[in-house]
Amino acid sequence: MTDSELKGAVLPALKKPGGAVRDFLRLAMEKELADAVILPMKVPSGDSFAWILMNDISLLDDAVPIAATMPVQGAKALRSLTRKGPGNLKIIAVMRPCEIRAAMELSKLGQVHPENLILATYDCPGAVQLQKYVDDPAGSEEYFAGMLQKGKPDDSAKPVCHTCENFSMFDSDIHFGYLGLSEKEVLVIPGSEKGSALLEGLGLDLTKDLQAWEKGIDQLKADKLNSRKSTFEETKAQLNGFNGLLSVFANCIGCHNCQSACPICYCRLCYFDSETAEQDPDALITAAEKRGGISLPVDRIMFHTGRMAHMSLSCVSCGQCSDACPVSIPVADVFSYVADQTQRTFEYTAGRNDGDPLPLRQFRKAELPGVHELVKDADAEVPSHE
Amino acid sequence: MKEFEMREAGQDKNLRAKVGVYICECGPNIAGKVDLDKIIADLSQLDDYQDVELVVKKYGFLCSGPGKEFLEEEIRSNGYTHLVVGACSPRDHDSTFMGVCKKTDLNPYLYRIINIREHCTWVIDDKEKATEKAFSYIRGGISRVLRQSELFEKPLDINPDVLVIGGGIAGMEAALSLSGEDRRVFLVEKTDHLGGISLDLSGLLPGQGEIIKNKIDSVTEDKNIRLFLNTSVETVIGFLGNFEIELVSIENAETTDIMAGAIVVATGSSLFDPGESAHLSYSESDEVYTSLSVEKMFSGEGEARLRSGKKPSSVALIHCVGREEKNYCSGICCSYMMKLAGFFRNQSPDIQVTEFYRDLCLPQKDDQERYTEAEAAGVEFVRIKDISIKGTEVSFEKMNSKKSEQSFDMVVLAPAIVPSADTEELADLLTVPLDESGFFQEVHKMTNPVGTSTDGVFIVGTAHGPKGVSDSMQFARASAGQILTRLIPGEKLIPEVKVTEILEAYCTGCGNCLDVCVYGAIYSDDSRGISVVNEAVCRGCGNCYGSCPSGALRTKHFTNTQLYREVDEALR
Repeated sequence: MTDSELKGAVLPALKKPGGAVRDFLRLAMEKELADAVILPMKVPSGDSFAWILMNDISLLDDAVPIAATMPVQGAKALRSLTRKGPGNLKIIAVMRPCEIRAAMELSKLGQVHPENLILATYDCPGAVQLQKYVDDPAGSEEYFAGMLQKGKPDDSAKPVCHTCENFSMFDSDIHFGYLGLSEKEVLVIPGSEKGSALLEGLGLDLTKDLQAWEKGIDQLKADKLNSRKSTFEETKAQLNGFNGLLSVFANCIGCHNCQSACPICYCRLCYFDSETAEQDPDALITAAEKRGGISLPVDRIMFHTGRMAHMSLSCVSCGQCSDACPVSIPVADVFSYVADQTQRTFEYTAGRNDGDPLPLRQFRKAELPGVHELVKDADAEVPSHE
Repeated sequence: MKEFEMREAGQDKNLRAKVGVYICECGPNIAGKVDLDKIIADLSQLDDYQDVELVVKKYGFLCSGPGKEFLEEEIRSNGYTHLVVGACSPRDHDSTFMGVCKKTDLNPYLYRIINIREHCTWVIDDKEKATEKAFSYIRGGISRVLRQSELFEKPLDINPDVLVIGGGIAGMEAALSLSGEDRRVFLVEKTDHLGGISLDLSGLLPGQGEIIKNKIDSVTEDKNIRLFLNTSVETVIGFLGNFEIELVSIENAETTDIMAGAIVVATGSSLFDPGESAHLSYSESDEVYTSLSVEKMFSGEGEARLRSGKKPSSVALIHCVGREEKNYCSGICCSYMMKLAGFFRNQSPDIQVTEFYRDLCLPQKDDQERYTEAEAAGVEFVRIKDISIKGTEVSFEKMNSKKSEQSFDMVVLAPAIVPSADTEELADLLTVPLDESGFFQEVHKMTNPVGTSTDGVFIVGTAHGPKGVSDSMQFARASAGQILTRLIPGEKLIPEVKVTEILEAYCTGCGNCLDVCVYGAIYSDDSRGISVVNEAVCRGCGNCYGSCPSGALRTKHFTNTQLYREVDEALR
């Protein structure tokens, strides 16, 4: 996870980790090391958050750097700002690790230009499910305070948060760590040259070694990996065979909210919303005649499997799709499980900033013989034509 | 932005069309294996489409002269809007029937061949099943052809001039074969002289030195060859018939822009560094030489001497140096090592020559004879399983697992032929892939070894792979042949019509298509944040189409709508 020779600077955390982050950003803006910051802020009705790009320091007081829930995936905010190029402003964005990982994927797809961004993450305890938060903001804040205290998700959190192994520092420029430390301090750790330069400019000395924090992370990670394993087993059983897949998505109403909420789905027009993807009425009638009956409209399972084929290699398991689903389909559980498989197939981890190209963009001859082995390993059911 | 979708979708309804469906009997190949009369009757009764009139007929051999005339007359007299031919593989006769359409008013892209021979009659014994499948396929073909669009060929002016990169024997041969009154050749060489590696080989065969010297003179004197010494290629943009090239002088960085219609790559190769081999350890002072340096001794002094100045009395010739590391056989070493053995024996019959080899590769017509002669003359051939060399001490394991050691006055290594240092850079510039060994990748090993995936770029000589002087020259002539027949001064070139187009409104500029395009036909327009296809370079392979998640790409004549509707019908 981190290089043990790495050190961090200590920030006083009298106002909880979020307060320390806010003080840090204020200092960076006062010293003109950042022109603006992107942070969540409560919406006027108080039941959700919105991303605000602020260059007015006084607005910082109302910002909530570590928000309890995740209404719009941060990568989408970064995309809206930098999709045409890096721009001239130096901006610090504080986001959940899964948001930064999504931004990294989008940068490989030419949708985010992070050159002038300083991407900061924190030890993410998980995010409260959006619907829960909207229904009961005050209660949710209490839940989240508890999560922050323990550093890990509880029942109010999104299911994918329980299986998230990359909840802490992961190729960001700066990371705020608090796990395994006393409540009075927050570590600020540089993750890139950009990050180091910022800390140096702020006069923060890297004096604190990271062992206690790393130990805290590793412990939690072990728990999460266990939970990941058992959850994936359950998902696998649920998805068993084509009928399993069909039944998971059986109540899909075809709203495509999951696709709109997905940070990776960057297409201007989803292929599955285009006319080409629509079935010929004639062909539907013939299919119904042949099989005795078909469910209408027919494109629901195709939509989900097609979307999987398009984006699962870049899926960061942020869980936005499940939060967006009005009929409570565990979309994220399925996509997270599939993404785990596809990414392992190509030895790729979505969100890494290591110069690895997207697997579908490169051809390695060695991959070819592997396909056979994989099929055997996965014990795949091959549907029969008879 | 939805224009093409609407156009294709619109064709589902109110389509007025008259489709001719012609089934080739292919002698007994098709007629004997399916019930053609049933297929014709069933197809004639199809009521899949309103306002579509189907005319279904059969004919003995549609690809024959009379068959083509029959088809042409049928298209003319019936006024078909679309044509489906049920026959053989498109690889056999797609272009034949497109040619027939071109003679009529019917646009050749409103025709479709359906392969009922290879896909049905040749592979299904049961006549009933074959009949059923052939019917479904033709029905799919009708569905597809109704969604096809007219496409038009756009002839392009061409530049007949040629850029040859590399002034070795292959490059010179290509340049001389190509230059003429109406065709200039730009010959670019990065060193300050012509001839390349062949200069070091001169004198080895009777008259060879003269041949190479004459070639250099011919090139220098040819007024249609413009020679650029100490020059390298900086940029290449374009396609067959129209390349824009920037050359840069290595001496003073001065650039020259030239235009050419084709590019011949004759950049040669280099030798495997024996120092990289785990089997060898020696230092500069040891009496260990590469085959090329010994060739130089013979071509210069006429005889080989040790560093001490003495003449060797025993020589070990080591074949296959680097073969294990490189994992290929260089193919020419055996033959030149036997040549060297001959030179040593000529120098003095007392020199004991031993050749150590893993496999003998004797592909040229007189190789076998030379081998027999060498053996008769007392050259010892030792086939080995393993070998290690320390200075001039040779330890080896024979095929019968017997291990021995022997000391020699002189050790001569035959290092593998490897790609020259700047191959990768040049490949990138020309968007030509490299093969597993790092040489330029040809279109097809047997049928087109000089062509590359970038149409208009040819590879000759050892840039293509290890080969001798004569093969290098033949490759050069082969490339010249292809260029001479395709870039005829004054004639136009018809680029691929079935290219991919990008629907700008859908494109988000993610660059997937750009990375998977093997022809370098797609570039990124940063100011608009989209990808753009250079239609003149695109070959319509469809890689990009498959890589685009949003359907912003469409390969003409192979659109999703066309393919899906064909499949829908075939599986109906």
